[in-house]
Amino acid sequence: MTFDDLRPDMDAASLDVTRTADATTERPALTIMVTPRPIPPTSSNEPLSPERLRQIDRVFFGPFFREKYGAAGDKALQNSRIRYYGPVQPTNNAGELVGRRYVHEFDTMTGMTRGWHETLDRMGNIRQIRPERDDGIKRHYQFDSNGRYKGSW
Amino acid sequence: MEIDLQAVRRVFEDVLNGSMLREQADRWAHAVIQEEETAVVTYSPPRERERIWAGVMYLYGIDTMTGPNAYLHTDDDISRGMIASIGAVGDEVADDNSVGSRATVATLHRKQVGPHH
Repeated sequence: MTFDDLRPDMDAASLDVTRTADATTERPALTIMVTPRPIPPTSSNEPLSPERLRQIDRVFFGPFFREKYGAAGDKALQNSRIRYYGPVQPTNNAGELVGRRYVHEFDTMTGMTRGWHETLDRMGNIRQIRPERDDGIKRHYQFDSNGRYKGSW
Repeated sequence: MEIDLQAVRRVFEDVLNGSMLREQADRWAHAVIQEEETAVVTYSPPRERERIWAGVMYLYGIDTMTGPNAYLHTDDDISRGMIASIGAVGDEVADDNSVGSRATVATLHRKQVGPHH
């Protein structure tokens, strides 16, 4: 098992999340037809840039997931997936660990979703993840402060 | 499936008084989320939807551990989490004009997702 199997783009998760101030007040029925900004005109021969496609994905799929899972922001990844970040639920019990949050990921190409709980340290590093598995088995995967996989139980 | 604020609060309280395991609370929340994904969940009253959902999402993962037999959260964390997500006891009464909805006892129509006691 590699690190990417568990948690691709880990560094981006806590550093590059786009916050959406209106995330908790959006209603799908109201927002699904709304495009925040007009898409700049492009030549019919000119394909949209990957960055632009990701932006469109975020806008289009946001109403389906942002309100439920993206209270703390969302991020479109380069692999056509969008991650929605829940709020960090704090703890005062665990030394360097500051809390946990739920992350929900939607694959815009396949329509599949997956989710996991991640535990963060005070520097914002992800130190542990617990994927939601179909079989219901709960397994925690731990990492050191440099993102290196330490082990699981 | 119908869920109200009292049902969520009861799960929090059951965890805190030891009558429900955190693992059970996590699975209860997971079942609610699954229902939300695959069917229609009715929030009662509807205007409390955000608080109810925030409570469910707190309970989901409440059994996260930092090591074998070591929970991430203390009971104190959970008490604070309950207040932060669904509010203090009585909050739903103070500003609720829909008496009928308020008087409804916590309802989870599908027994398989009901809290275990």
